[in-house]
Amino acid sequence: MTTPTAKEIKAMTDVAGVPVDAEVAARIANSIGPAFQGFAPVAGTLPFDLEPAGFLLVQTAKVSA
Amino acid sequence: MSTEPALMSLTAVAKAIAAKKLSSHEVTRSCLHRIAEWQPRLNAFMAIESEAALKAADAADAALAKGHHRGALHGVPLAHKDMYYDAGEVVTCGSLIRRDFVATTTSTALQRLKDAGTVRLGSLQMVEFAYGPTGHNVHYGAVHNPWHVDHITGGSSSGSGSAVAARLTFAALGSDTGGSIRMPAHFCGVTGLKTTVGRVSRAGAMPLSQSLDTVGPLAQTVEDCALLLGLMAGADPEDPTASTLPVPDYMDATRGSIKGLRIGVPTAFYVDDLDPEVARVLDETIAVLKKEGAEIVPVELPDQRQLTAACQLVLATEAAALHKRWMIERPQDYGPQVLMRLQNGLAIPGVSYLEAMRWRGPALAAYLAAVTGTDAVLAPVAPVPAPTIAESDVGNSDGAEAVIQRLTRFTRPVNYLGLPSLSIPAGFTKSGLPVGMQLIGRSFDEATLLRIGAAFQRATDFHALVPKLA
Repeated sequence: MTTPTAKEIKAMTDVAGVPVDAEVAARIANSIGPAFQGFAPVAGTLPFDLEPAGFLLVQTAKVSA
Repeated sequence: MSTEPALMSLTAVAKAIAAKKLSSHEVTRSCLHRIAEWQPRLNAFMAIESEAALKAADAADAALAKGHHRGALHGVPLAHKDMYYDAGEVVTCGSLIRRDFVATTTSTALQRLKDAGTVRLGSLQMVEFAYGPTGHNVHYGAVHNPWHVDHITGGSSSGSGSAVAARLTFAALGSDTGGSIRMPAHFCGVTGLKTTVGRVSRAGAMPLSQSLDTVGPLAQTVEDCALLLGLMAGADPEDPTASTLPVPDYMDATRGSIKGLRIGVPTAFYVDDLDPEVARVLDETIAVLKKEGAEIVPVELPDQRQLTAACQLVLATEAAALHKRWMIERPQDYGPQVLMRLQNGLAIPGVSYLEAMRWRGPALAAYLAAVTGTDAVLAPVAPVPAPTIAESDVGNSDGAEAVIQRLTRFTRPVNYLGLPSLSIPAGFTKSGLPVGMQLIGRSFDEATLLRIGAAFQRATDFHALVPKLA
């Protein structure tokens, strides 16, 4: 998982229908970089059979202290 | 009992009105008096509705005189973050875009408080669309910290934190998507409860992130928060994401001893790079909890930085999707900082967002496994006390972005996992700024947090201290 570059972000925002200029794209790349880097160890490692409702099942499971 | 009714706690004033020791009129007038004194310094209120509030208070007194007691908050005046829809009232969401928006429905959380008999004082300031952690708002001005007006309140429930701390309202609804209840509670020295995702209905509450948004109270005491949660929690046909799990007696929970409870203190992340005064308050909090009979144990948590990152991916994407129409049609009507944050979400691929969502279950399971054998985890709300408004003003201060990033470091992992967390006033810096600590619990186990928090407040008086007008 790599952080999108400013050039890629420019293209993504165009596709999204909310275009930004090159300066804003560079600012976005800088701003979201830490989130991509922080999540990189997890990205691409998740098992196939998580759904449905994996989070809700864990949230409501009885856990003893 | 204080001679100034506005200084009483929510539970105390509700009892005094019910017992006819105080009238709703007297209490409401006392709040309005303090609002008139403090509002020019704090900018905590979005709207002050003095005349309507006194009229409603008189009606509450008349009803009580006839034997009609509406509920646990009969005649108690309150104001809330200006994002809870109240039919017929303007709800700005702290924005220019919704400056004239009149709600046609009432949010479930607010309606349940109204059903318990509350009187509306007005509405409270907030960060534009609840998307920012400091309390700055370019449209309506920054909200000021009553302990030191040059410092931030924290956000996004900025008016809620400031108004409760200055005793302008007995309690206030906030919302917590990335720390927006706990940070104002920490910076302003009040008690704040971030609820489990699903514990309180979000129907009629302005959305920011459908996966992370939570509704909760800020108030003077843990007992006050317990009272409010008990009134608001529970299933709601208007919000199928609200849990159908039974609602415990939260007030009863506040009366329990913490003798024998095991409270975990993280060995890393939440204790790293702390301001020395925050570190001191953490040590002092541990000492109090030990003295009250709790056992303090070290806990090794999974990597919290990954949780923060996942939270950012989810929040940014969902907020951008919610706001996309206005980002196209009215970009000029957003404050620059809020628009920048919203634009960040446009650059997150769908697969990255969905991976972050898919990981929530395994990440929560790993966290719960790590805290097995403990009843709650204790950690600072933020690594620092409140910075100044100037140094955290992005656009006017070079280092502001770094200051802001630091603020939410300890709150976002909890949001990602959807867990409850109670922020309690735990001390003060030498310069007189409050410091809060958070108790993080298991999903839907707010009761244990309230039990620990109430025991802490029986042993300390940080929650009872009131800022003075300079």
